[in-house]
Amino acid sequence: MKKFLAILLSLVMVLSLAACGGGSDQPSPTTDKPAENQPADDQGGGAPETKTVKVGLICIGDENDQGYTYNFIRGKEAATEALAAKGIDVDWVVKWNIAENSGCEDANIELADDGCQLIINNSFGFEDHMLKVVDDYPEVEFIACTNQGSWNDGRDNTHNAFANIYEGRYLAGVVAGMKLQQMIDEGEITADQAVIGYVGAFSFAEVISGFTAYFLGARSVCPSVTMKVQFVGSWSDATEEANAASALADMGCVMISQHSDNTTPATTAEAKGVFHTGYNNDMISVAPGASLIGTRINWAPYFEYAIEAVANGESFDQDWCHGMDMGAVVMTDLNEDIAAPGTAEKLAEVEAKIRSGELQVFDTSTFTIEGKALESAFALDTDGDFTPDSEEAVFDGAFHESYFQSAPYFALSIDGIEWLNSAF
Amino acid sequence: MNHEKKIPLIRLAKRDGMEGWKVWCIRFGSIVFALLLGALVMALAGASPVTAYGTMISGALGKKSAIRQTVKIAVPLLGCALAIAPCFKMRFWNIGAEGQITAGAIAASYFALFWAGRLPSPVLLVVMGVSGAIAGGVWALIPAFFKARWNTNETLFTLMMNYIVIGVVRWLQGGPWEGRKGSQIIPQFDSAACLPRVLGVHCGWIIVLVLVVFMHVYMNHTKHGYEIAVIGDSVNTARYAGMNVGRVMMRTMFLSGAISGIVGFIVASGANNTLYDGVAGGVGFTSITVAWLSQLNAFAMVAISMLLAVLSKGAETLQTRMAVPTSISDIITGILLFCMLGCEFFINYKLIFRKNSHKEAAKS
Repeated sequence: MKKFLAILLSLVMVLSLAACGGGSDQPSPTTDKPAENQPADDQGGGAPETKTVKVGLICIGDENDQGYTYNFIRGKEAATEALAAKGIDVDWVVKWNIAENSGCEDANIELADDGCQLIINNSFGFEDHMLKVVDDYPEVEFIACTNQGSWNDGRDNTHNAFANIYEGRYLAGVVAGMKLQQMIDEGEITADQAVIGYVGAFSFAEVISGFTAYFLGARSVCPSVTMKVQFVGSWSDATEEANAASALADMGCVMISQHSDNTTPATTAEAKGVFHTGYNNDMISVAPGASLIGTRINWAPYFEYAIEAVANGESFDQDWCHGMDMGAVVMTDLNEDIAAPGTAEKLAEVEAKIRSGELQVFDTSTFTIEGKALESAFALDTDGDFTPDSEEAVFDGAFHESYFQSAPYFALSIDGIEWLNSAF
Repeated sequence: MNHEKKIPLIRLAKRDGMEGWKVWCIRFGSIVFALLLGALVMALAGASPVTAYGTMISGALGKKSAIRQTVKIAVPLLGCALAIAPCFKMRFWNIGAEGQITAGAIAASYFALFWAGRLPSPVLLVVMGVSGAIAGGVWALIPAFFKARWNTNETLFTLMMNYIVIGVVRWLQGGPWEGRKGSQIIPQFDSAACLPRVLGVHCGWIIVLVLVVFMHVYMNHTKHGYEIAVIGDSVNTARYAGMNVGRVMMRTMFLSGAISGIVGFIVASGANNTLYDGVAGGVGFTSITVAWLSQLNAFAMVAISMLLAVLSKGAETLQTRMAVPTSISDIITGILLFCMLGCEFFINYKLIFRKNSHKEAAKS
């Protein structure tokens, strides 16, 4: 009994010690406090020199993925810098590794309760859960990146955003096509051996639109090219992506590209002695002998635009989509050591044509579907059955991608591209 | 001196009934100890422990909206702990609650997706709940049948069953039930198929509270509950008493799976309003801890599941406000569970230290 009391006593003493120890740490949180309070102060004050906006960012992964979420973080940092120059301080609150379930709803509530004036959801699957929260916080602006349900849902505080990534895909395709044509011209491969292998995540409009643009870019400079697409059934599965790239190379593909998050298709291409063009990230460092170029969305212009609007109390586009015109789509460095001669010049030329509108990526004279030219295709789904049924996307001789809404809707299978599996 | 080496420094001895207040002091002490260890971890991560704990508590319980989210986290934990309690009482190690939740969610989702226009909302919800219970029950019955018939290992069996049913959901997500082509997302349920909210939280919390009372009565005041307890103590005694052990096992597992299935229905219909492969989200495993910490006492489970929910929600707030990685709070939760379960050891056993050589010599 005595022993027991002794233990109890010592426990109490340790506890009190800890309480004292905790006290000494207290100054640090108080220094944090002014920063937290600033947005509220500024809203009340008239027109201060610097404005502070509190922005929440909900991410499906974290920056260690070196792909999708990392790309948002790069955009966040660049936007913060650009806004600082305009006298706008951004106080970011980032939620990492949020799943596409009611946890996303909770994250939105938490950020809104924490005083965020703008909340950005970075993954497609977040939108449904975000929309359950938006009505409770009418003063907060919500953005669902890459999705399509918010901008026309009748609310004022919900937004969608994407970039014309198909423009970057087309340019990457041009680089790949020039390399293939060079190999044909130098007798390394015959004209019909110019086969591209494409590692896709799912047969999702965003992916289909991307690889079709890529293929059309390649065919614009290498007329005999064909393409095989292998879907892996995951946005991010390093092993499966490597397996798919490896299988494609074994089937005779001499150029690999991808719409998936990892760099393993690039390293596999390098190991197999074939070439590669990347996505989301510069992959030259991991595959210097294979990776020609990459393309990625640059979120900084949009973040800058949206946050600046919130800071100034203005409204901003509910559905935002820009491409190379605003720097929202960028190419990573060209690997001059292995790219075909004259690639850089050609890239600059094609990019200028895209910017000026002279070149339409989905020009209906450049592709056929089951042998026939595309004459009609709908862009938007209005009755919720997931099949587009309104807004004619084909006019003026081209399919207008991301014209009626930011999220891609080109989901057609064109001649020259073989889908090896469409189970996903 | 040589003979002393035979006596180890510490010996263990089973303790006979400790006084109740002492037991609770030890339990309380272990929580305090865990919080201190947790404070150390937080300090290492660069956060002030006092502020951090304060943030966690205010984040989980400081606001109406925070309390609602905390309750939402606690509901499936509590429901699932109730589900596995009778199995564990019977010493039938059902670690397949994860799969049983998922099976229930699939069945409920089927009606939510394809019967939403045809039935009035209350009827639809009842159908969803009942179908979820049956699906979860049947999913649990399979390993129980094999155990009863051929004495297969139920731990492995129930565990493996999880992966199968989660695979089924993946297939549904990408195949027949997929919404927008290629999205791998099943559309949100019609509002008629979503559990209505009571006091801001989906009414699943009422269902699980009813289940708490039901489970308490079932375990302590029914013949079934008594049979479960006897089998748990000794299968041979149960046989000798004329109980059909296999039948009781299958019956209990069906009940356990059915409650898990109802939890699956609650999560799909109430929280997510859709079905996806992570619908169980580890609840089937975490609830094992809830059940053990509560000593299989249904009312204690309410408190323990709330405690875990507070930690989990608090951790999210900690990350939001102090930029402490959520993994830090996972560590703290781990430490807490470890200490709380570990203290049961000290309640059941006492340590006997080797006496110093003087006394030892005097004795001999």
